[in-house]
Amino acid sequence: MSTTISGKNLLQPMGLQCKDLYEYLKMRSPEMLNKLYNNPPICLAVYRELPEIARHYVMRLLFVEQPVPQAVIASWCSKLHVDVHLKVVQVMNELNIWKEASIPGGLPGWILNATFRKNLKIVLLGGGTSWTMSNQLETDSKPRDVAFLDSYALERWECVLHYMVGSQQQEGISADAVRILLHAGLMKRDEEDGSPVITQAGFQFLLLDTAAQVWYFILQYLDTVEARGLDLVECLTFLFQLNFSTLGKDYSTQGMMSGLLTFLQHLREFGLVYQRKRKAGRFYPTRLALNIATGQNKPLSRDLEKERYIVVETNYRVYAYTNSNLQVALIGLFCELLYRFPNLVVAILTRDSVRQALKSGITASQIVGYLNQHAHNKMIEAGPPTLPPTIVDQIKLWENERNRFIFSEGVLYSQFHSQTDFEVLRDHAVSLGVLIWQSERKRTMVVTKAGHDDVKKFWKRYSKGAN
Amino acid sequence: MGPPKRFKKDTDRGKWKKRKEDHDPDYVNDEDYNENDAEGIPDAAKNDVEKQDEGALEDEFGAKDYRSQMILKTDNISRPLWVAPNGHIFLESFSPVYKHAHDFLIAISEPVCRPEHLHEYKLTAYSLYAAVSVGLQTHDIIEYLKRLSKTSIPDGIIEFIKLCTLSYGKVKLVLKHNKYFIESPFPEVLQKLLKDPVIQNCRLRKNIEDETKDKDGLITSVLNKNKAPQFGAKSLPIVNQPASGGAPTVSNDSATPNQTNIEEIAIPEDITTFYDKIDKEDEDEEEQQLKTVSFEVNQEKIEVIQKRCIELEHPLLAEYDFRNDSVNPDINIDLKPSTVLRPYQEKSLRKMFGNGRARSGVIVLPCGAGKSLVGVTACCTVRKRALVLCNSGVSVEQWKQQFKMWSTADDSMICRFTSEAKDKPMGCGILVTTYSMITHTQKRSWEAEQTMRWLQDQEWGIMVLDEVHTIPAKMFRRVLTLVQSHCKLGLTATLLREDDKIADLNFLIGPKLYEANWLELQKRGFIARVQCAEVWCPMTPEFYREYLGCKMTRKLLLYVMNPNKFRACQYLIRYHERRGDKTIVFSDNVFALKHYAIKMNKPYIYGPTSQSERIQILQNFKYNMKVNTIFVSKVADTSFDLPEANVLIQISSHGGSRRQEAQRLGRILRAKKGAIAEEYNAFFYTLVSQDTMEMNYSRRRQRFLVNQGYAYKVITKLAGMSDEPDMMYKTRDEQGQLLQQVLSANDTDADEEKIPGEGPRPMIRKAGNMASLSGADDAVYYEYKKSAASSTANKHPLFKKFRT
Repeated sequence: MSTTISGKNLLQPMGLQCKDLYEYLKMRSPEMLNKLYNNPPICLAVYRELPEIARHYVMRLLFVEQPVPQAVIASWCSKLHVDVHLKVVQVMNELNIWKEASIPGGLPGWILNATFRKNLKIVLLGGGTSWTMSNQLETDSKPRDVAFLDSYALERWECVLHYMVGSQQQEGISADAVRILLHAGLMKRDEEDGSPVITQAGFQFLLLDTAAQVWYFILQYLDTVEARGLDLVECLTFLFQLNFSTLGKDYSTQGMMSGLLTFLQHLREFGLVYQRKRKAGRFYPTRLALNIATGQNKPLSRDLEKERYIVVETNYRVYAYTNSNLQVALIGLFCELLYRFPNLVVAILTRDSVRQALKSGITASQIVGYLNQHAHNKMIEAGPPTLPPTIVDQIKLWENERNRFIFSEGVLYSQFHSQTDFEVLRDHAVSLGVLIWQSERKRTMVVTKAGHDDVKKFWKRYSKGAN
Repeated sequence: MGPPKRFKKDTDRGKWKKRKEDHDPDYVNDEDYNENDAEGIPDAAKNDVEKQDEGALEDEFGAKDYRSQMILKTDNISRPLWVAPNGHIFLESFSPVYKHAHDFLIAISEPVCRPEHLHEYKLTAYSLYAAVSVGLQTHDIIEYLKRLSKTSIPDGIIEFIKLCTLSYGKVKLVLKHNKYFIESPFPEVLQKLLKDPVIQNCRLRKNIEDETKDKDGLITSVLNKNKAPQFGAKSLPIVNQPASGGAPTVSNDSATPNQTNIEEIAIPEDITTFYDKIDKEDEDEEEQQLKTVSFEVNQEKIEVIQKRCIELEHPLLAEYDFRNDSVNPDINIDLKPSTVLRPYQEKSLRKMFGNGRARSGVIVLPCGAGKSLVGVTACCTVRKRALVLCNSGVSVEQWKQQFKMWSTADDSMICRFTSEAKDKPMGCGILVTTYSMITHTQKRSWEAEQTMRWLQDQEWGIMVLDEVHTIPAKMFRRVLTLVQSHCKLGLTATLLREDDKIADLNFLIGPKLYEANWLELQKRGFIARVQCAEVWCPMTPEFYREYLGCKMTRKLLLYVMNPNKFRACQYLIRYHERRGDKTIVFSDNVFALKHYAIKMNKPYIYGPTSQSERIQILQNFKYNMKVNTIFVSKVADTSFDLPEANVLIQISSHGGSRRQEAQRLGRILRAKKGAIAEEYNAFFYTLVSQDTMEMNYSRRRQRFLVNQGYAYKVITKLAGMSDEPDMMYKTRDEQGQLLQQVLSANDTDADEEKIPGEGPRPMIRKAGNMASLSGADDAVYYEYKKSAASSTANKHPLFKKFRT
């Protein structure tokens, strides 16, 4: 996997861990992994996601049917880059791609996982059973082109997002999807009426880019897959077959199990595949499904042009060149909206609107990050800095405003009989470094909870000595 | 810092109205304002286009949804603006046709905010009136707006424009050969007017039958106005004009069409062609043969006819055909050859002298952008007797300087008329005086009396009104009744008042002719680049405790005297003195002003400071290397021309007044040397005590400048302040002593300074017991003479007579 973090991922909030494929698989049990490796597409996907050196090792070992000494493998990599080697070894171990085997003579060695080896060979060299969706089809009477698929995918996906922000204009989403959102912690049931409301993580989710959103959502979906009586391995296999499919080509549903057909319907709802009718017998994968696992998902074409649409002015005005309800809703999270024109939204950042956002768990840096990420080209031209620094400062100040109190737990000592008693005890607390607050006039002091025992003991000793 | 705080307590559409109400009623409260004042305003002007979108739907996010009312054009990318049904217009400043659209919008609407990328304007009845008076036609306004807009124009807006422009600007009151004529290119309008009995009464009919009169007795005249030289065509050393195109245009303007042809072909053709057409109409009016009809009116009844015409929805535009005025003698004054006008100054003057006559109106330029030069040039163009009114003795001197600097006028031509300097008025061409001198109602000295009489006898060619926003309507009316002048030019930096009564000026002086864009002038180096900063000074615990538990007036004193603020001020002064900057410190509160100044050993100016002392201090500040910092009260808010100052520190201010903030910024706006070298060359600090009312005030004050594109940086901690040696009020003891001083100060100290010219402050009713009213709350007993004097003032005149 690639170790570089794209700018967008910097936005990733701490609360929301968006795992990539490697991280996802690493959490599975070895038995599970073996099951997965029974399917050639998964092997290929995993292979592609490996770091470059790991791919190299796999290639060298693919046709070696016996363990290779670890020292030999280590020698393939220059001593200068031993840390890279070690990292690769760790990845290979975690993914159960090879296992340790001792070579006759007692040297430790590695041998490729047999299942993985077999199926990777199949995928590279051909053979094995044909993929479920590769059945022959007569040509579609009404073929769909890429542009259509893109807009379809986006529309479906935005349905989910719209549902999350509580916009009423779009059609609803299925109970299944709601369940996934709830399961993922992106939404939660309202305490009063039980209707789902967006959570803090949900807001953070909305601020991710589409590819990351889809992948995160699918991972959450996979978690619930077995509870629905679907086979995780089957689903994953299918997902990875989609991963390698071609955009704009139709595929047959012939030979798919009923479980898989249900899975297909779910993917259809989220816009990962397009099907004219439930029983159409064919489906088109959309851009959302392609390269889903790689994280290098190219943004949808429509996404690109809409990406940079926000102008932020020094007078706190925010102008957004958009007509998408979703984007408007997102801006509405931290701005007060004033006017909507056919292709423009006029909004204003106010203390109240930003505080509202802060209250719902969005951080100042997320707001700034979002504005920065979507800043209009004219803003970028005028920059750097892209955003007016005073606005950025102000948003941060508004956040700091909420954190002016510091709470520290402590124990109160009061009602000293004499000033000297007080001073002795206070000085002791100071010397221990546990004093939080003291007032000489009121003869009152507060010490930290951790320091309480020591101070108490000292006091007992002291007062006994005085008596 | 922040934008206006707006509360969502009411979800109705009154949001905008609410915002308007949240003004600060007490900065120069014009309490003389009464119903009579509303008389001079035609009904159409009372229309508020804001209300037109009451029916607009609100979308699910709380925004007004205009999408159903307009259709997006397919080529919207190349068109620069959106028009909302409530009259707000949004303009992309990065559009290739920005220049065209900007000039047009300035003419027809009021700028609301003009930051970097997207500007907001607003159509108002007044702005449309102004548009008509500079020669735009209803049809052209609508047509051009349609072409510039990305969407279709809402019907309500078209209606509104028609309503506000159709009847306006059709009739002109012209003074020719010292006879007053009502003139109009539309005979039917005149006929309508003549049917009115009041107007009939005012008409001056001559018995001699003239062959040019038609059956109604109207004088028809065909004017080949080509001969009337236009402003700018004179031998002024203005920016070189290309000879092509007939009428001169500002150089950068005329360059635009060429540029646009080459660079941006994407502009829809209709915009450029139409722009050229409008442009030509605006400038080349002279070349058309205008057929106008007119009738003469009785000079004594001018007031009556003006009022009647307004009632009839045909307000008279006053124009002065100064070139054909043979009765009033020309004065021998011209601009010096070395005087160079900046493009925006020239443009504003062209609006005034657009058709060879002088229009009355207001020109809005930022402080320091050379308003006086505009005034001087206007006087030199008219070349008739000129009267300049300003609001303080100091600025009278400064105006005289300006005249001597830019024009050929010398001491003998310029006469000052103030309480301290009374030059001999006879034979002079330019009289400079203050508003209060003219409107003075008490007994004058014999000498002043003579001058006044002379002044009233004159027929003034032009009257220049400096800082026109400061004068209350009533005072202004008095000026107008006392002095006769043919045209009036108002000059100001901030055409805004917290009480929204600025609109009256439109009909008392004339429409706004021109308003400059601050940010643009700043970018082009005509005014200084200012770094605005708000310094947050935490209240010390002792001060804050007192603050929380005391009366309103005392609160003010506590947050101004906050020791942390004092220290911040001291640090900033030292920092800038080391840099060699000249610093002005503003304080509205006199107690604080004196305390700060005396403690830091700096000179200070406030109300009671005598004229000569003021001038001495200012001279020292200008030329003495050792005097780098002065403290001033709000007497210096306007018209103190201090070109050297480049740092301004504000320690106390008048509540949330936007205007004061802008005026104060104006003190340091004059373009500085080496303007290009540094990113910022002037600094504007506002010191604010954290967690007090000051924070809210400060937010409100900044609205105007923020809308002009200024950004306030919030400084929560001054780096290096803790390392600074011998700072005052460092220890608790010192701070405690200060607190004692503050608490023992009497109530008048706690108040802001009152300036006589600004009229009495509104009465404030407060709940309180007898003891606190009599001052028994404080341990200290004070006796002061002022109250004794005022107690007699309230007595019956009879008693007064006997007791004093």
